[in-house]
Amino acid sequence: MRASSIPGSGGVWRHFKDWGNLRGHEGRDKALDLVQQFSTRFESLKGVVHTASGDGDAVRIALSICADAVASAVALSHVPKPFQAAFVEGCRDSGVAVVAPPYSNDTLPGAIDRAQVGVSMAHFAIAQTGTLVEVDVDDACRIVSCLPRTHICLVRNTDFVPELYDAAPRLRSIFQENERNCVVSFISGPSRTGDIEMKLTLGVHGPEQAHVIVVYDE
Amino acid sequence: MSDERYTKLTEDIQAAIADPTRRESLYGCMKRGRDQRAAALEDWPGGGAFRADVRAAKDRCLEQQDELMQRFIANAQERGANVFVASDGPAAIEYVLNVAKKREAKTVSKSKSLTTEEIQLNEPLEEAGLRVVETDLGELIIQLVHERPYHLVFPSVHKTAKEVAEIFSKETGNPVPNDIESIMGVVRSYLRPIFLESDIGLTGANVGVAETGAIAIETNEGNARLVSSIGDCHICVMGMEKIVETMDEAMLMISAHPLSATGQCPTTYVTWMAGRSPMGEGDGQERESHIIILDNGRTAMRQDEGLKEALRCIRCGACMNICPTYGVVGGHTFGHIYPGPIGIPWTAAVHGLDAASTFSPLCISCGLCKEICPAEIDIPLTISEVKHRHMKVHGAPKADRTMMAADRFAWLGSATAPLSNWFLKNPLFRRILESVAGVDHRRTLPPFSRTTFTRRFARRTVAQPAAPIRKVALFIDVYANYNAPELGMAIVDYLLRDGCDVSVPKQTSSGYPYIAYGDLDKAEAVARRNVASMAAAAQAGRDIVSPEPTAVYALKKSYPSLLPDSEDARLVAERTYELFEYLLKVQNGNDTSPLKGRRFGFHCSCHQRPLGSGMAAMEWLRGQGANVELIETGTCCGMGGTFGLKAGALGYDLSQAVGQHLFEAFQEADVEAIVTESSVCAIQLSEGTGIPVIHPLMLLQSP
Repeated sequence: MRASSIPGSGGVWRHFKDWGNLRGHEGRDKALDLVQQFSTRFESLKGVVHTASGDGDAVRIALSICADAVASAVALSHVPKPFQAAFVEGCRDSGVAVVAPPYSNDTLPGAIDRAQVGVSMAHFAIAQTGTLVEVDVDDACRIVSCLPRTHICLVRNTDFVPELYDAAPRLRSIFQENERNCVVSFISGPSRTGDIEMKLTLGVHGPEQAHVIVVYDE
Repeated sequence: MSDERYTKLTEDIQAAIADPTRRESLYGCMKRGRDQRAAALEDWPGGGAFRADVRAAKDRCLEQQDELMQRFIANAQERGANVFVASDGPAAIEYVLNVAKKREAKTVSKSKSLTTEEIQLNEPLEEAGLRVVETDLGELIIQLVHERPYHLVFPSVHKTAKEVAEIFSKETGNPVPNDIESIMGVVRSYLRPIFLESDIGLTGANVGVAETGAIAIETNEGNARLVSSIGDCHICVMGMEKIVETMDEAMLMISAHPLSATGQCPTTYVTWMAGRSPMGEGDGQERESHIIILDNGRTAMRQDEGLKEALRCIRCGACMNICPTYGVVGGHTFGHIYPGPIGIPWTAAVHGLDAASTFSPLCISCGLCKEICPAEIDIPLTISEVKHRHMKVHGAPKADRTMMAADRFAWLGSATAPLSNWFLKNPLFRRILESVAGVDHRRTLPPFSRTTFTRRFARRTVAQPAAPIRKVALFIDVYANYNAPELGMAIVDYLLRDGCDVSVPKQTSSGYPYIAYGDLDKAEAVARRNVASMAAAAQAGRDIVSPEPTAVYALKKSYPSLLPDSEDARLVAERTYELFEYLLKVQNGNDTSPLKGRRFGFHCSCHQRPLGSGMAAMEWLRGQGANVELIETGTCCGMGGTFGLKAGALGYDLSQAVGQHLFEAFQEADVEAIVTESSVCAIQLSEGTGIPVIHPLMLLQSP
């Protein structure tokens, strides 16, 4: 399923509310259903889902989110090299400072706390629960999706699993592959609390905005 | 007198009842919790089926606890974590103090850990000069006002937004607006520097995974991510019962937990942490992770037959969302450190029987907690066990003793009727009865009949069918025997007419009050007698039918639990039916609609929830042409069997407070009468609503 094969779409669409129009489209694969399910769920949790056709598109979307957030500084976790190169260049053009791994511990956590946007990449995502799964062996990268007010997470369209329980064997493998320290983080939307009168509010300590960019192969 | 021990509890109950604003707020929160969970289960594949899975997984892991703990420790250590098994609270505290001293720590940021509250960790740390800051908002709020948690999951649910704003105004020295959004902004900026500067990040863990040596921490706020990453020293305090074997079991726990607690799945953040990761590159402070596995009575609990199933608890708080008395008095009264229904066995195990007994009388044995528990813990039975142990040492309070003997009083009431009824309506006599026996003088008691059902049955003239289609053994219990024998006879008439042979085997009343008030020895004795008699009837081919929901509950649920090795108890349970369940089964068809045009509100008693939830009675009524609406709040009417008959705060007063919303719901409904199968709920609803309350079968009897 290519973005450009849908007439009038322009190649990028931000929200998945229009999926209904695309039902029955020929060539739709299973991965699409999972992405759709994920998006419905993630957006019901007050997150935002974008789709991108290739890294270039993803960079454009990410830069746009940073502009909306009026970011003067952005922190990166481990992201694909092509994305990082283009993104850093785009930030430089807009006068936005970027910090990226490897991080030096004497600049932390301040360097990441000063960023308004954090960009990371998910190992995979869970459609049923709208959950992103990040894997970090360095806590410096982990706090990229914790400290800034806006979090952008990249995930490949082929990296979705259907249900929460499908994540268990994946996690087992991840912990087997990383013999020493390892932290897997499940992220299902922006930060929230119900501690006052059981009424839900967003953005308490973690990010107030959680964006996912589902990246399709170009 | 033994009743003075409840002076404080009585005062607390009265104070809670007298605070309608806080009661409304608490009731609303509890209802939201129940409703959110119910809504989530509608969408979740399998609905509530995961409860059986949780129970099985927990039982298996608890059985293998020692081996799993060793595997967890080995794996965690291989990954670079330090692991310490603390035999009790002081051992855990000493370990933490030593770590803090070695690292010259000044600030400790904490994410929520009930286990650290269990051992009261914060105080000794503060006394040692450390600044300890709770970062879970609910915990921070109660920390700032020096209170204990009000609810397992929502520790500050008793505080309104306005009160919280005031707390933060005071703490920051700047005025904070009353709206929740503004408060959150203040909280975020208040805590951010604390996260960034902490030397030690102290967390709990929701699960420990033996096969990977990882812990899982759930939060919605993201505070545990910050606490477990930034501070160079991470300490986790985890109860040993949290350890499961596989990632799959862990995934089950971290989904069951928020589904039951708030209807979410999963929480916004779940952090699966193994070993200790660096914070960037370069020489900095050495980073370490310490996992303290806490015993503090858990090993003893595993060997304690009466309490051990409480170890399955995953700390979701659903039991307190549905508990009728908790919903009125809240967690400061219904709790010591662990609040709510599950707090009773847990407090008994880790803080002592006396501490648990300060609030165990609040349990009215409605059984709702058991129906909602994601691990299917028989919480009511563990609570009865706690009451039992306390009673063996201190005896039972007067009113409880009266209620446990209720069936004997009923016998006496019938034997001395109509004089007994005259006395029971006499105000002076009622005052004396209250003072002597603890029966609240305000309760209108149903009158006693001189001729009991058993005598009428013995004397009946209608013959048994010559060629019966089925055979029934009737378990009549108290009300239909001593108060309303006409109901008992009506049941017999129906069954005979539908071709059943009816017998009334030797029996006592169900004895449920013994379970409710904690005399498990007597409860077991009654169970044995009734099971022996009813099993013989079952073996002779009889089905067992009872009109009283609590009696059906006792036969089907309680007796097998009281007599776990008894095949007879299992047989009786299998062959016992609710009245209308059976009538629908045997009825020969009905083309009349004698109740056409009549409008009734149906009340389902708590003990019917794991049975048919009153569906059979409602179907039967609709079959007679009636318009029936189920009216409920999702929790108890407040009667709690004989609880609402008891005098004062630990009885009538609390019972009225519990029932208030249900009374209003019935009054607002457009119904001509309330129908219910429970004789005791009938008393409560009749007095509370002023609407006539009728047993469904009696609707068809000519007056």
